[in-house]
Amino acid sequence: MLKRKAIYTLLAIMTLMSCVKDVDFDQAENFSLTPVLASSILFTEVEASSFFENDMELESVRDSVANIEIFEDQFVKDNLIKAELVFQATNTIDRTFNLQVDFFNDADELQHTLSFDAIESNSGNPVVTDYTEVFEDDSLDALKLITKMVITLTLYPSSDGSTLNENSSGNISLKSKGIFYFNIDV
Amino acid sequence: MRYKRLAFVLIIITFGFVGAQNKQLLFGFNDIPQSALINPSTTLKNDLFVGLPLLSHVHATVGSSGASAYDLFADDGRDFSSKLQSLIFRLDSNDFFMFNQQFDIFSGGFSYGKGIEKDRYLSFGMYLETDAIVYHPKDYAVLAYQGNADNIDRIFDLSDLNASGEVVSVLHIGTTKKINNKLTIGARGKIYSSVFNVNSTKNSGSFVTREGQNNFLEHTFNLDLSVRTSGIKSLAEDNNTDFSKDIKTIRKRMLFGGNLGLGIDVGFTYQATDQLMFEGSLQDFGFIRHKKDIESYTLKGNYTFEGINPLFPEVGNGQTAEEYWDEIADNFEDLFEVDSAANKYTTWRPLKLNGALRYAFGKKQNKDCDCLNDDVGYINEVGAQLYAVNRPKRPQFALTAYYYRRVFNGFRVKATYTVDSFSYKNIGLGVSTHFGPVNLYVLADNLLEYQNLAKAQSASLQLGLNFVFGRNK
Repeated sequence: MLKRKAIYTLLAIMTLMSCVKDVDFDQAENFSLTPVLASSILFTEVEASSFFENDMELESVRDSVANIEIFEDQFVKDNLIKAELVFQATNTIDRTFNLQVDFFNDADELQHTLSFDAIESNSGNPVVTDYTEVFEDDSLDALKLITKMVITLTLYPSSDGSTLNENSSGNISLKSKGIFYFNIDV
Repeated sequence: MRYKRLAFVLIIITFGFVGAQNKQLLFGFNDIPQSALINPSTTLKNDLFVGLPLLSHVHATVGSSGASAYDLFADDGRDFSSKLQSLIFRLDSNDFFMFNQQFDIFSGGFSYGKGIEKDRYLSFGMYLETDAIVYHPKDYAVLAYQGNADNIDRIFDLSDLNASGEVVSVLHIGTTKKINNKLTIGARGKIYSSVFNVNSTKNSGSFVTREGQNNFLEHTFNLDLSVRTSGIKSLAEDNNTDFSKDIKTIRKRMLFGGNLGLGIDVGFTYQATDQLMFEGSLQDFGFIRHKKDIESYTLKGNYTFEGINPLFPEVGNGQTAEEYWDEIADNFEDLFEVDSAANKYTTWRPLKLNGALRYAFGKKQNKDCDCLNDDVGYINEVGAQLYAVNRPKRPQFALTAYYYRRVFNGFRVKATYTVDSFSYKNIGLGVSTHFGPVNLYVLADNLLEYQNLAKAQSASLQLGLNFVFGRNK
């Protein structure tokens, strides 16, 4: 009988002692994920000779990308806290170019513009120009409205009046990526 | 209705107690009739037993191979996000979280045989089992946590998504057959009726961001993912808010209305000497064929994206960036398009292996006549048990050493020490009491952790009530 009592007592103690201590399950409430995503955007490479067409030097070339839906996405609108667009131009042409990117909303209203110069190469050696545009606060709000971008590459006039022709050497290349910072409250 | 609620409450309570699916305490504890479910060659020493409906066997177990709730929720002033991060990175993709619950709907059994000595035992019943395992989707978690920007060249392995879950009712009948004085064999046939099944265990593919040839970065997607479900579509789509209707549907499925399957348990018991015995069994060698109410989702494709090129149609090859972009957008849309189909499929039940070596000693002395009482036999038993279960990624093992004692006729205890995926010091204790025909038992493991369950990586609890007649015949 004594034995039985002892075992029951032991079981009772064990049950009473069992508990969940020193934990705070509310912590999970203020929890957020902060991934940083990187994505390729544009890239191109253009030969100097391509800027000569119909016996004339092209002053500028232009292209556009429409139907960009990613920034209209509610998830992006809610959670994107900062964005950087990183460009790198590599120029082996003896002329300076300007690269301009204009961002438009659905109603074709200009929301944001960025531009930088890709410096000329005097020796034919590559000249690398890096440029980063940071989108925060107002500019980030503007970015979240865009559905279209227009890219313009403009050729500055040469200092000596010379123009590019079909025999001109060198090329200009462009690389770009976007770095997107998210803060996702879970 | 009251039974249902009671059963529901019991499941919740047992879930709250948070061992493993391993029933190291029940295995070989032959005073408890449900021990015959582990090895069908177990000859129960009674004439008849009837389990109290819904309460003859309730088992619940929760486990996490690499972490405890304490690791994450400790009230230690550390930032939750950093704790989660260190956990995500510490665990690997073979770590898992599992839940298993079983309860008897009804059960019974009786001894029979030719002649006076009834040397065979037939047992039957029906139980409902819920089983779920989710492997740590490590690479997905790292991607969600950090993103790809600082993980250039890291190959995110999409096979890290591996999970399965099911609710199944099992109707079973088993019997033993004595081959000779030493060897007894047994088999149990099972009909499975699947209530729900979800599994995503055959995923492959990768996502990687590398330095590009023509651009800063190059993203390569290689996707081959699928999820198969049965028994979920109709309930998800019926749009009714009347939960009792769903309950009716579920009840029908439990009684052969769902997707059906067949299985078998086989086992042997070898009594080498009066004191030494071996036993082994295979449980749930069986399958379920999913044909009704099925829906599979697949995501398959390969794509490499380096950026939008070319630009400037005047100087390029005539294609505009816009056209190029539209093409890319289409490609991405195709890549991430989820195809759904009603494909029949077969799932195998998690096969379990049990083995044991048992040694009995210490004959009970009868104080009054100072003679050995043959009926009572040995009062102590020690032994070693092995358990293995086949899981989607790889089998899990557990090794147990135990001590069993008949404290007195109506009170028997078993203490176990188990080493498994969850712990190297899992101590369990089981008690089976008999008052008249009433057999009440409680088995619990991971007792060392009961002081603070939050620190336990696993815990299990089993309890039940049977009416047993003709014990110790």
